[in-house]
Amino acid sequence: MAGLLGGSALQRTGRAVRSWLPFFAAIPILALIQEYIALNPDLGLEYAFQNINHIGIAIILAVSLNLVNGLTGQFSIGHAGFMAVGGYVSSVLVMRGPQEDPYRIFFVLAVLAGAGAAAVAGYLVGKPSLRLRGDYLAIVTLGFGEIIRVSIENTPFFGGAIGLSPIPHRADFAWIWAVAIGTIIVAKRLRDSTHGRAFLSVREDEVAAEAMGIDTTGYKVRAFVLSAAFAGVAGALSGAFEGNLAPQSFTFVRSFEVVAMVVLGGMGSITGSTIAAAVLTILPEYLRAVANLRMVIYSIALIALMLLRPRGLLGTREVWDWWRKKRPARAAPERKVSEALIDVQDATIRFGGLTAVCDFNLEVRPRELVALIGPNGAGKTTVFNLLTGVYPPSEGTIKVMGRDTRGLAPHDIAHLGCARTFQNIRLFRELSAFDNVRVACHHLTRESIAAAVRHGSLAEQEEKWVAERAEELLQIMGLSHRRDELAKNLPYGEQRRLEIARALATGPQVLLLDEPAAGTNTKEKVELMQLIRSIRDRFGVAIVLIEHDMKLVMGVSERILVLDHGVTIAKGLPREIQSNPKVIEAYLGEKYAKEHAAQIAASGSSS
Amino acid sequence: MVDLLQHLVHGVSLGAIYALIALGYTMVYGVLQLINFAHGDVFMLGAMMGWYASSRWTQEAAHPSWAGAVAVTLLCMAICGTTGFLIERFGYRPLRGSPKLNSLITAIGFSFLLEYGGQFVFGPNPRAFGALPVDPGDQFRVLGVSISYIDLICVGVSVGLMVLLNRIIYHSRIGTAMRAVSWNPPVAALMGVNVDKVISFTFVLGSVLAAVAGILYASAYRKVEPLMGLMPGLKAFVSAVLGGIGNVHGAMLGGLILGLAEQLVSSYVSSQWKDAIAFAILILILLVKPSGLLGKGSAEKV
Repeated sequence: MAGLLGGSALQRTGRAVRSWLPFFAAIPILALIQEYIALNPDLGLEYAFQNINHIGIAIILAVSLNLVNGLTGQFSIGHAGFMAVGGYVSSVLVMRGPQEDPYRIFFVLAVLAGAGAAAVAGYLVGKPSLRLRGDYLAIVTLGFGEIIRVSIENTPFFGGAIGLSPIPHRADFAWIWAVAIGTIIVAKRLRDSTHGRAFLSVREDEVAAEAMGIDTTGYKVRAFVLSAAFAGVAGALSGAFEGNLAPQSFTFVRSFEVVAMVVLGGMGSITGSTIAAAVLTILPEYLRAVANLRMVIYSIALIALMLLRPRGLLGTREVWDWWRKKRPARAAPERKVSEALIDVQDATIRFGGLTAVCDFNLEVRPRELVALIGPNGAGKTTVFNLLTGVYPPSEGTIKVMGRDTRGLAPHDIAHLGCARTFQNIRLFRELSAFDNVRVACHHLTRESIAAAVRHGSLAEQEEKWVAERAEELLQIMGLSHRRDELAKNLPYGEQRRLEIARALATGPQVLLLDEPAAGTNTKEKVELMQLIRSIRDRFGVAIVLIEHDMKLVMGVSERILVLDHGVTIAKGLPREIQSNPKVIEAYLGEKYAKEHAAQIAASGSSS
Repeated sequence: MVDLLQHLVHGVSLGAIYALIALGYTMVYGVLQLINFAHGDVFMLGAMMGWYASSRWTQEAAHPSWAGAVAVTLLCMAICGTTGFLIERFGYRPLRGSPKLNSLITAIGFSFLLEYGGQFVFGPNPRAFGALPVDPGDQFRVLGVSISYIDLICVGVSVGLMVLLNRIIYHSRIGTAMRAVSWNPPVAALMGVNVDKVISFTFVLGSVLAAVAGILYASAYRKVEPLMGLMPGLKAFVSAVLGGIGNVHGAMLGGLILGLAEQLVSSYVSSQWKDAIAFAILILILLVKPSGLLGKGSAEKV
């Protein structure tokens, strides 16, 4: 795709520059405003100007923290720590660099160095803690922020407790606001790209995101490092603007202010963060009378907001969403069959002393419809978890598309072409139906994070292709009319269909359906039966189905495996299974099986 | 050698306090899978209320007596227990069904509310604390090691409380219920356990222990300030993670290790690094064995 659409390097650069053209055009305007204010001191805008610059820095901080706390759903409360790292590194460089820096080339390099240092710190802090649940990150970043501040206070090289001063005034209104606007654009482009959807899917449901082929830890770390780098830039600009840096300005109060901006503005909303950054920066200026109570008010506001409107004032919406129109659906072409598939040899898994699945064997051939049945607790879902790499087998081998899955993460297995749905629906609840499906296209795209930000041509083409693919799948599943509805607002049956659409979007060769008919009525079951067949025919996928409803299982599957207490007690054609005494025993009990032996034998031969 | 023994004594005394705070983190995590960010500040509240009770409301600090000290401690335990109960009842319980992130933000909100509410009422400057009738300077010598009475009290009281806690958790009805809830709340509820009550009890228990830790800590360092909960709270959390979060014995072990590590680092390396060591331990344990020394690994159920 890249070769076809990318064009030459020169063309690509040209495109990137053009896509950022409005941004470059804005810089001279910012510079002109600054000149005008500087030349007219009698306007009395000096003080207001100071505040406007503080707002700019706050926007950089809030919008970048929003990448982690809002979009990715992790919780960092040490943003001031990264700000300090970036600020100190860049300020030391500027102070020790050349006295004259007419084109600010050295300054720009120093800011980039500060951003790089903050990113490295972000990686070192994020990598160990992001593998775990989000609340660990909170406490680790809190600790990090404090340790950094204490370390700076005790390091004479960084000015100790007094701080660094004087730092040459290299940053001013135009610089700060150019970066602030740039940060917003980067955040918006990221959010609208496949990477942004990957961030959101991590926030919504990590297990489902992995199953859809997203490297969740990788994306958490990416969001965190990027956010730390922007905090570093904010620190560098702040130092070069104020002319001094003191460790006291990087306490956790500072971090908490930024957190408050993100949370109040709406977690995940870029415009929300921007507005909240502006409001929370100006507000204290007008509330000097209750300055002592500022943090008390913030904390009460935060608690109240969580209790009353947990998604923040704007939620995940953006200001521009109010103008966005709903789009009509489109039709789609067919796909071809391929071969490859699943081969499980003697897989066993134990949890502590309990053997959940024992010596399980399964071979799935192309376009097959296999059903996995058994009483509750028989280990059916565990088999799916083994196939998709949620648990590694204790013994035995599992091959997907001919490849041993040992050591592969769930997202790797999704990449191989094995997708699943979940028994207890795991949609990305706060994303639209359309976005749920688009997330699953993630691993089929190649654009880099940088390309998404640059608006490269490949990124744009891919974005179009992903949208078409998602619309096509929604249409097949009869969900076109729900395109822009949040997943959590869909009726139950449609949620189940959306899960299937999402799984199909990963481009699987094998589709694992975990109780797709749970909670549906008889009529819907018949429709589902037809749907499963038509999915097989249309996409040429093999389907493995876990289901309790015997009518559905017998009607749709070509081959059945019966599990009981983790042991495969029978396998064969539907007809054979129906009359298998072991199966009847497992379902209805030993006594029943004995008493009705004759009847069962009769029904077996007649069918 | 004597030097080392001396540092070990201080380390054990510090570790005992960390362990007391860590128990609150770990018990709440056990039943709710929530890091109660405000816990370190409940510890601060204990110390601060101790100051009010001994220096403001009474003349206890001027004429300290054992009976007075016990009375002050009991009062602080009651206040902190009530605070813990209220935070859970009105902050966390309404959010129990919603995403974990919301409870976490609320917890951070409460933490800041206590810190800055405290700062508003109490003033930002440290104040001298003297509820106990012993001075940190009072000490006696054993084998050349000087042991201060306050260290002895810290260790004695902490060990006593931990033995008591152990009895509560493993040999009482409510303790059995707590363990059932930490294992699986819905199932515990089906078995007739009043889950809300158990969770409230857990918060009260943790907060009461934090109150005692606050009094001991303030007595050993002779001062109280509104932000004093931050670092001990963080270190106690590290202790809980080190021992295996959710595991009561792990919290005790982790507290002890952290107290010793901090004391040894600040004596043999540099006192400036004593805060950093806790952080280094946290990062290390997250990298090597995130489930902690005594914890068991667990996967999310799909």
